[in-house]
Amino acid sequence: MNEQDVPDRFRILVCLDGSDECYQSLRYAAKLGSGVDADIVLLYVRPTDQGLRSGGLQVRVARENMLKWGIELPGIQYLKKGRDMLKELDIMSGDDWKEEVAHTDVDGDPLGDNKISYVNEQGKMVVLKLKVATDIATGILEQWELGEYDIIILGASSRWKGMARSFWDPAVAEKVAVHAPCSVLVARDLEIGHGHLICTDGSEESMEMVRRDAVLASRCECPISLMSVALDVEDEPNAKDNVEKAEKMLNDLGIEVVESLIRVGNPVDEIIEIGPDYSLIVMSESSKPGLKRFFMGSVAFKVMENAHNSVMIAR
Amino acid sequence: MTLGTWLNLYFFWEKKWFFIAMIVGAFMLHMPLPQGLSPEGLIVLTMSVVSVILFITEPVPLPTVALLIIVGQVVLMGHESSDVAKSLVTDSVLFIAGSLMLAVAVVKQKLDKRIAWLIVRVTGTKTWRVCLGITVVSGLLASFVGEHTVAAMMLPVGITLITLTSDDPKKVRNLAAVLLFSICYGASVAGIGTPSGGARNAIMIGYWKEFFYDPTNPETFKFIVSYVDWMIHAYPMFLIQVPVVTIILFWSFRPEYRDLSRAVVKLRNLIEEEGSMKAADWMSILIFFLVLVGWIFISGDIGMGTVAVAGAATFLVAGLVKWEDINSGVNWGVILLYAAAISLGLQMKETGAALWVAEAFLNTLAPLGANEGFGLWAAVSVLTTAVTNMMSNGAAVAVLGPIVLKISTVAGESPIIIGYITAISSSFAYLTVVGTPACTIVYASGYLKATDFLMVGWKMTIASTVIMLVAAKLYWPLLGI
Repeated sequence: MNEQDVPDRFRILVCLDGSDECYQSLRYAAKLGSGVDADIVLLYVRPTDQGLRSGGLQVRVARENMLKWGIELPGIQYLKKGRDMLKELDIMSGDDWKEEVAHTDVDGDPLGDNKISYVNEQGKMVVLKLKVATDIATGILEQWELGEYDIIILGASSRWKGMARSFWDPAVAEKVAVHAPCSVLVARDLEIGHGHLICTDGSEESMEMVRRDAVLASRCECPISLMSVALDVEDEPNAKDNVEKAEKMLNDLGIEVVESLIRVGNPVDEIIEIGPDYSLIVMSESSKPGLKRFFMGSVAFKVMENAHNSVMIAR
Repeated sequence: MTLGTWLNLYFFWEKKWFFIAMIVGAFMLHMPLPQGLSPEGLIVLTMSVVSVILFITEPVPLPTVALLIIVGQVVLMGHESSDVAKSLVTDSVLFIAGSLMLAVAVVKQKLDKRIAWLIVRVTGTKTWRVCLGITVVSGLLASFVGEHTVAAMMLPVGITLITLTSDDPKKVRNLAAVLLFSICYGASVAGIGTPSGGARNAIMIGYWKEFFYDPTNPETFKFIVSYVDWMIHAYPMFLIQVPVVTIILFWSFRPEYRDLSRAVVKLRNLIEEEGSMKAADWMSILIFFLVLVGWIFISGDIGMGTVAVAGAATFLVAGLVKWEDINSGVNWGVILLYAAAISLGLQMKETGAALWVAEAFLNTLAPLGANEGFGLWAAVSVLTTAVTNMMSNGAAVAVLGPIVLKISTVAGESPIIIGYITAISSSFAYLTVVGTPACTIVYASGYLKATDFLMVGWKMTIASTVIMLVAAKLYWPLLGI
């Protein structure tokens, strides 16, 4: 993905599953996306109705029967609640919103994808999307392909399961975080207003990430703290350098940095320990290539797995 | 970037279990021949192990496993292609195909509203009575037409009662759980009741005949188990489980509303808009009744499969269902899957692989004292329950059937008892969403969480196992087995 592909608009994808967590993250998304140039897409992924598991009778038979009774597809209620929340938060204020309904056929599912888009006169868009996919993570990633997003926000539905369990069934958040080409925010008790803790290791990717997140943070007017962890005492000046470099860059952009932190120790533990003081821990994706990243994980993914609060992997 | 660019690596990760299964298979084929196992036996055993790994982990679409089994029988075992093809279709497979077509036909008849009306008329408006009513009716129907049919028919009834009570799913979470679980567990416990209650029963009846029936030996005639025989053995067990389902559900979830009068009144109005029963409705009930009569009285002569297929044909002739609906409503891959699994099961018997596994299993159980009598029954039940929770219950019986039947002969137990225990235990897949067809369908409504199934499922599993073992110990001896 390169810069030219990114549309001028700031696009936010919020994955809803009906949990309290996901509506908390919607609040945050609303804050990020309050500007005219931001679009918010609410997504609910419904697993494909298929009959191998239902003893040979396709689930669609049951689904069609339900529709005949006038019963809505699962997820529609969640999306409507999300839309109502955005209305309450004044994201969809004014009467000039035009509504447009669209349907896409999907192989193997009679009901396919459905979406309702609301567009106002300035071109701001709010979309409710009910998507069908073989599993939830795939659905979220496919949605990214349809319209590139700047950030995907999803709730960590439960604690991550650790290596043994995820070998069987990787958690949705984990899979999306590994594969999404854009920033991914995994929300846990996401509270607005405690600021972003941006962790940097001085690499170029991480500098780029610092810049990107600073832009994001300025969208929601969140205070920014910078942090770098040195592996040992000897490494400390390096870490200091990293933070100073980042701070200077942000100052040049006219973004204020509230505090700079230098810690010594295991980066994962240090970051997790200090994390809960902030709304959000921001990590850059490790520069390890695919295979290595897949099997060994990285600091970013370990933090994401074990942190007590929300974590964003910036890309 | 498209999915494709990073897919190369991800492809292998997603399909890891396929490669693991193949490596296990290659390893097994090249290991030294275990004592007492023929070379063909080893090949069949290898194919079974690989299939089971693939059934459970599902790295590839399940019908692929069926195709691989067919290829394996020709390539690895050197059978004639035509012989393998012939071994695929048996009466059990015909029955599975026919009853799936019947299932679609029955669901399409819109009798669900009539049934709902009947339920609420009899039960009144108390929540527990409505739930018990739903369990009883779901169960009675499911015991004849299969649980998936009933789940598909009754699901809208349950959801309508929920949404008429409250629009906010959070306020009716427990109510939704009791109502929907009443449907799926009611249907699940009933699947044991008659041979047409589930594919697994038909598969077991087929195995009994294939394994033990000898036309020249009158002693073996008891291994032709008729529709009525099965009902006498298993139906009472289902009836006992019905109130247990309601008790367990109300013990696990405390519904927010004790009374559903608002919803019931609205539901009644909704149904009354339908008007009185039409000729087509009566016709479909008549055909269904005839199929039932056919299963009970003539399936011994012409086969259960033939009756099911005839029933489906009658629905089509009468114009009550369109072929397109049947075609899109049945997952034909499942039929292929059962066909291949049964064919592999029969190979397990013929090559002696089943006997070898049976002996090894009994030797393992011997130190626990579970190699005979009641202990063995319990062990077989636990084994089946474990396997069925991991894969479809029909496939579980197809794979386990030959082994447990050999176990029974080696241990000197009645193959009939062990067969019943296996077929019945295979319906105890209450723990997972994918365990039984009814659970899968009800889960598609989006009202239940996967953890709900675990929370209430273990209680159901224990209750059902105990009821079955008690019946096996006390009731079946009265029937002379």
